Formats: sequence, C-alpha cells, structure tokens
Amino acid sequence: MKVDVQSLDTFNQLAHEGAQAATDAMAQMTGIDTHVEVTRIMLVERAALGEELADHSFVGIQFGFEGALTGETVLVFEQDQSAAIAETLLGPDANTRMAQSSIKEVGNIMMSGFLDGWADFLTATIEHDPPTYIEGKGTAILPEMKAATDQVFVFRSTIEWGGEDVSFYIYMLPEYEPLAALMAEHSLEAENAIPVEKLAAFNEMTREGARQAAANVELMSGIETTAEVSQISFAPIEAIPKQFSDDIYIGTVVEFTGAPSGFLLVLFDEPSAITVAEALMPVTMESGELTSQHKAAIEELGNIITSGFTDGWANVLQQSIDHTPPRVVHDMGQAIIDPLAAQLGQFQRHAFLIDSKMMTEELAFQCEITALPNEQELRTALSQLDPDRTTETQADVEDIF
Amino acid sequence: MADVLIADDSEFMRNLLREILEEDHTIVGEAENGVEAVEVFKETQPDLVMMDIVMPIRDGIEATNEIKTQHPESNVIMCTSVGQEEKMKEAVKAGADGYITKPFQKPSVIEAIQDVVPS
Amino acid sequence: MKVYDGQSTEPEAPNRLKVGIAEYEVTADEAELTTSGLGSCVGVALYDTESGISGLVHVMLPVADEMRDGKPAKFADTGVELLIAEMESIGAAVETLEAKIAGGSDMLDFSKADKSIGERNAEQVRNTLSSYDIPVVAADIGGDYGRSLLFEPTTGDLVVKSANRETQRL
Repeated sequence: MKVDVQSLDTFNQLAHEGAQAATDAMAQMTGIDTHVEVTRIMLVERAALGEELADHSFVGIQFGFEGALTGETVLVFEQDQSAAIAETLLGPDANTRMAQSSIKEVGNIMMSGFLDGWADFLTATIEHDPPTYIEGKGTAILPEMKAATDQVFVFRSTIEWGGEDVSFYIYMLPEYEPLAALMAEHSLEAENAIPVEKLAAFNEMTREGARQAAANVELMSGIETTAEVSQISFAPIEAIPKQFSDDIYIGTVVEFTGAPSGFLLVLFDEPSAITVAEALMPVTMESGELTSQHKAAIEELGNIITSGFTDGWANVLQQSIDHTPPRVVHDMGQAIIDPLAAQLGQFQRHAFLIDSKMMTEELAFQCEITALPNEQELRTALSQLDPDRTTETQADVEDIF
Repeated sequence: MADVLIADDSEFMRNLLREILEEDHTIVGEAENGVEAVEVFKETQPDLVMMDIVMPIRDGIEATNEIKTQHPESNVIMCTSVGQEEKMKEAVKAGADGYITKPFQKPSVIEAIQDVVPS
Repeated sequence: MKVYDGQSTEPEAPNRLKVGIAEYEVTADEAELTTSGLGSCVGVALYDTESGISGLVHVMLPVADEMRDGKPAKFADTGVELLIAEMESIGAAVETLEAKIAGGSDMLDFSKADKSIGERNAEQVRNTLSSYDIPVVAADIGGDYGRSLLFEPTTGDLVVKSANRETQRL
C-alpha cells in the first residue's frame, strides 16, 4: 500500500466534515454547542491507540460498518458529559435505561452523519450495524483491532465541548485492505506516493529515538523514564498548532537541517519541568517556581533529548542531521508551534507531525517530543529508507574506527 | 387520523416518535427489528409504518420490501439516521413512500406524514 | 422522493464564537469572538461603529499568492478581504469599520530573512486594511510571546492575554 499526500488530504477532509456533520446533529438534538477542534489521520501502534483517553471514564457507542469502507467506529463522551446529554433530552429524572437509550440514539445519529459524507463521496453505500452502547475506562473502551500489522491507520477527531476544557472523541478504525484499495484509487500523484511500510518503519525508528532520549533523561536525572506512544499524523498545515492545547509549556525548540530538515520541539508542562529540572540540579530547590536555573537545566535536557532523537534518524538514514542550539520557550503550546508551522507553511500545505511522549511511573512528569519535518524532504528521505535498517539507530563506534 | 406502526430499535426514538404522533394519530404497534415489523404489520394492518433502517436481525429496507410486495397499498416512511444518497435510492426501490433523516424537527415529521397519508 | 430533514430551523445563536487558525467568524448579535495561541499569526478584529456588527479572523501567512490553496482566511490579504465582505453581507458598512489587531510575534523565527513572518503578517494586515481606508485604532504587535484574544462587541474591546505578562485591554 502506498499513500500520497493528495489522498491523505482528501480522506482527512472527509473525516473532518463527517465530524462536523456529527456535531451539527448533536447541536440540533440537544442544543449543546460543540466545535470540531481537529481531525487527523494517524499511523499509530495498535497498543498505543487512544492514549489521550488516559484513565477517564467514558460512555459511548460503537458499531461496525462495511461496504466501500470496512471497519469499526466509536464515539465516546466523558461520563459526566453523557449525563448532561441525557438530561437535555429527557429532563432531570430519567431512569438509567432511558438515559442509555438516548445516548445510544444520539451517538447513532451522529455517527451516521459521520459516515454519510464518505458514502456520498465514494458514490457507494456504507452499511452499518445497530449501535452498541459501551462504557469503560481509558483505552479499554476502544475495540480490538483486527489487523495483521503492528501499526494501524486511525482517523481521530477531537471535539471541544461548549468552550470548556473537556473533549469527546470520534475514532474511525478502517480495516487495512479496503482502505488501501480506496487510497490507491484516489491517488493523484502515484510517483510521489509513500509506501506505508516505510512510514511504519519510520515510526518504529522514532520510537527507538524516543527510547534513546528517555534513557538519556534517566541517566541524567535518575528518574526512571519510559518512552510511550509514537505516531505519525497528517493534517493541513493550519491544523498543526491545534494539536497543542493552550496550556503553558516550557521546553526547547531547534531547527534541524539535513535530510529531512524541519523543527523539533521538546516540551514539558510546567509542573513536569520543575520536577525534572530539580532532579538534575545538584542542590535542592525550595521555591517550586520556575527560575533561570530551572530553565538552564531544561535547556540542557532539551539538547540531549534532541540529539538522542536526531542521531537515531541520521544513523538509520545514513545521513548527517545537524541542529541549531536549542532555544528555550515558555509559552502557550499553540503559540509555540504556530510560528514553526507558518515557516513551513510558506512552502507546503500539509504537514506530517511525528510525536512521542515520555513519562515516569512515580513522579508526575511528562514530556512531549514533536518533530515537524519539511514534507517534501521527508518523502525523499523515506523513499531512500531501508526498512531493514530501522533498528540501526545507534552508530557502532567500533565499526567506524 | 392514521393507524401507525413504529419500527425502531431505539426505545428513546420510539418514545420520541410516539410523543410527536400521538397528537393526531393512533399508535397501533411498535417493533424493534425488521422481523417484528413485518409480524406486527400483519397483526395490526396499520395505515402507515415509520420504519428505521439500521436495526438488528433484519433491516428496515428488507422489511419495507416485504411489506410493500405483499401490500402495495400500504404506506411506509423511512425514518433513519442514514443520509447516504445510495441508501435513499435503495429505499425508493424497496417501495418507501417517504424518507425522514434524523435528527428531525417535529414539523418535518408532520409534513412527511401529511404528504403520504393526507388527513 | 422528497427527503425530510431537520435542517429547516436555525439553531439559536451562541454567545461565544471560537475562531480557529485560518478561520473567521462574524456576528450581528454581540456574540463574543475568541481565538487562541497566536504566535506569528495575527488576529484582526473589525467592528462597525454604526451597526455593531463584529468580526474576527485569525491569519497565518502574509500573501495568498504564494500558496494557492483555496483557504482565504489563512492569509493576511485575502483573510481581511473575506472578513470585510462577510460583514458587509450581514449589514456592516465598510466606511464605519474600525480595526484592532494583535499577534505577529517574532518568537521562534529561524528564517534568515530580514523580516520575521510575524512582522510580514502584521504589515500585510495593515496594508490591506488601509486599502479599504479602515483605521487601525489599536494594536499589540510583535514581541517574543504568544497571545490569546477575546473581542467583546458590547464594549468594542479586544482583550489580549499572554503567558507571562499582564492582560491588555485594547
């Protein structure tokens, strides 16, 4: 299977418009106003699917669909949101059975709206089963995916709820073969298409890079650190900053040059930054506030994480990748990535976003590593990528000297 | 005033339709799937069926097909969340007399029924 | 076959409209307009002093010509033009429009060009506005920090929030 930017874009748009149709349906039934924040196509490890659900309690619906496209789709609301929906439909004293039935029907109507656009675009029908009501915690609520591969394509829309900082999610999990056939059919630039195995190989390589970076952090801070989740997503360039919240982050940004070039961000939320910086410092700090010493520690950490990451790429690609000294940033997440997306946006309409997360078991510490490469150069690099080399993220000094 | 059968697998939706329709019509039966819809149709001989499409066991298009084949004089309005054009064509082929997409507004339900079974 | 759906009635106007990147909103009934996470992007709030009609656009790049992709609200020139046209279509008059603008920060500009994207965005916004003779009555442009905006049609104020500095009211 090969994917090209054109078909990725078309499919992303269908998913986004579908999510909009779904939320319009909900607004009409319940009067609850929602805003589709962002829709992205992701290539993600099956095991890491849905990590954004954390350990929150969700309810929602799930149904299988088949026809022009085959797979599963899921719509999940946080538990308290579902209560609010049921209340707008049934009043305050509805019994549980009716509340479930109403959620099921709202979900059903929303997700039918989501699929209609795809069917009409493909001038075909997409049949779907009656919805099943589901509830559960975190990723456990998502269906098992029948896939022969470790990595799966997922369309995910995040929907913001009445201006508040809570969201609900629509996932569409298509089966690989029918999706591959459709993508091939809607491909316009066959010569620029990327084989999916190479994207998947690149993803694995990124995970290795993140593991290396996590090992570096552990070595420096003594905090046991693991790398989690590594995914490649694709979105229009103006949707890239929306992948980050408005929360304040602190971290580093570098520009890297080579094949490919682009930007790499290492961002911590504020409490994480303070925790990890203090673990690096020789003396104990009492303030609990971010000082210039904290920032210096973060700068050094960002530098090391960045190198761990780009070294891995360079070794697999057998290219050198240089990066600028890190610039320390402390600002709203969206505002940090916005100028970077704008700089790439002068030359490209879409972008691949590669992200990994690092976290620790004991301490509340989380770090996001995000690469925003030049799209054309990434495609070139991928076309030259040897999938068998993806484990070669570490150069063997003995081999060279 | 028409005798109406409501076929929908969602209890919430059956209640909602019942509330809207009961003002002007008589609900003579309810069904939760396509098989029940055909059975209850035979028992109650309604003037109109409000038929969902996506239902377990047997879907609303098949049920409509059977009802319309055996009783061409009957009236069936599809009432579904599916808004796909190709699906609407299938509904026409099965003999459906009208098509309401969910979410609907009360006036559009009343208008659709008025068009199919004029009072 | 006639298809009956629920699209006939308009939902009630919400009291707060959120504007994403490369998006715009206009309002004739005093809904608050917000946009967040402006780095080098520029937010342009237009207000009709006669009718009270307001609009907000969040532009990302200076000139549409550089990248034809049919998304006018993404660019400073076509975004401002589009906002004006949409406001006129619901009853605003271009003669009585006033502008307040914010954003266009220089943060994280890695380009070797003389001017940052933020500067070029702000410059293009001003140029396009002046071609319509729309005065910029207040501006908070540049610097090396991000901004979030809230426009209040009831007061005509543009509230600018940043991570590390006092909230401004323009």
